Amino acid sequence: MLRNRNSRPDRALWPAGIADGGSGRHMTDNSQSLRAAEALASGHGSEDPFAAAIRADRMATIITDATQADHPIVFANDAFLRLTGYGRDEVIGRNCRFLQGVDTDPLERARLRAAISAGQDITCELLNYRKDGSTFWNALYLSPVHDGHGAITHFIGSQLDISDKKRLELQWNERQNSLEQLVADRTRDLTQALEQKTTLLHEVDHRVKNNLQLISSLLLLQNRRVSDPAVKDALRGMLERVNAIATVHRRLFQSEDVERFDVSAFVRDLVSDMMGSSARTDILFRLDLERVDVAASKAAPLALIVNELLSNALRHGFPHGQPGQIFVGIGRINGDFRIEIADDGVGMPNAAKSSGFGLTIIQLLCQQLKARCETSDAQPGTRVVIHLPINAAHP
Amino acid sequence: MNEQPLGVLIVEDEALLAAELGFLLEEAGCRPLGHAMRSDEAVAMAHKLSPDLALVDVHLGDGPTGVDVARRIHDDCGVVALFMTANVKRLPDDFAGACGVIGKPYSGHGVKMALAYLEVCMREGVAPGPAPVGMTLSPAYARLWGLSDQPRAV
Repeated sequence: MLRNRNSRPDRALWPAGIADGGSGRHMTDNSQSLRAAEALASGHGSEDPFAAAIRADRMATIITDATQADHPIVFANDAFLRLTGYGRDEVIGRNCRFLQGVDTDPLERARLRAAISAGQDITCELLNYRKDGSTFWNALYLSPVHDGHGAITHFIGSQLDISDKKRLELQWNERQNSLEQLVADRTRDLTQALEQKTTLLHEVDHRVKNNLQLISSLLLLQNRRVSDPAVKDALRGMLERVNAIATVHRRLFQSEDVERFDVSAFVRDLVSDMMGSSARTDILFRLDLERVDVAASKAAPLALIVNELLSNALRHGFPHGQPGQIFVGIGRINGDFRIEIADDGVGMPNAAKSSGFGLTIIQLLCQQLKARCETSDAQPGTRVVIHLPINAAHP
Repeated sequence: MNEQPLGVLIVEDEALLAAELGFLLEEAGCRPLGHAMRSDEAVAMAHKLSPDLALVDVHLGDGPTGVDVARRIHDDCGVVALFMTANVKRLPDDFAGACGVIGKPYSGHGVKMALAYLEVCMREGVAPGPAPVGMTLSPAYARLWGLSDQPRAV
């Protein structure tokens, strides 16, 4: 391949046999180019193997005269004529910009012009036009040829038709773009869907909380109306249960993780509320709470069990203003969650009959959670321990 | 109590909640002044009744206008507003000029604790301690009452 960058003029290749073109119909000064072409050819006759190689090369090649204004073409080989569809007499004497057209990238053209003015070699890819108007992608390699004093006398340009490569590139880019568009569309759809779901989740959460508030207001309002102590007691029990579930819901959506439920945080809230509303300042609460998370689906049943046990201890462990202490412990032991609620009150045999309904709730929910409930004499008082298997807590 | 009880305006579109809240206020030693179910009623009543405190739900009879109500009665009448909403996370960062929020569902005890706490804050100009369980103070009021900023979530 002939890449005569930095080549000395005496070693440059001056092809011959171009004097057959140049009828003078292109430009008025065509004669000057023809003379230059002849001069070039005369130094490189058919006995010059390098010139012969360029003339016969399959690579389209032209040489321009850098000493003339606007660098006219003074040599074009057969491959160039085949590539562009022009006859030799139609190209000699013209600047090779006639290959360019409306869709040729102006930036790439500017880069080419800049390289020529700076006398530097350049590789560029241009959309060029054949004589019949059809286009091809031209990978142009242009380099200057210097004389013995370092002045530029010619430029030699080789052209390679890279239309196939360009077409593949374009197809690839289009496919890439359509894929990117597809991904962008899909991402936007998913983001929208997620936003809608999040809004819906907030809306549902909002409604659940408002409805729980409504239910507790109903119970409170009715409790204000009735005077029968047994009915009041039953309503208060129900109100506590609703409050326990409400506390669960407040806690559930406070954390970022809506799947898990922190039992200890719940117990802290519940104890504070129960202690306050019981107005039993003579009863002390002692808490030993290790952070224990259960699945959100277990939160409400577990909360109801804890509520019943606390309520039992508070209501029945210390009758007639007897002071005392209630202990709540939460932790892990032997792969189980262990919840202990103990009081130092009057103890089971002496306690007033606790609500049969409350015990039923504890039994049913323990069954549901596959939990074990053990009641023992705390001497004094009562100790209840709930064992919740971890695999039951983490379904 | 030798102090004048707090005059409280209830801004809530759920009649049952408002009714029960009225009883709770009386039990807590406050003076319920009235009950508004829509934003225009709330603003008009705040002008007319000059309450010390307004308990404001975010969703009212005319839409999610509670935030606007809090801002207007605070800016126009200097009323201290306390949000009571299930949508705590949707409140603006500045609480629209309100002093804080009680998350729904609240308990009767929780509301009484909050009222007693606010009563001290407003009378003394200084908080007796951190806000009670279930209540969050706005950053501006936490500073006003001598507390450093609290995290939003309780």
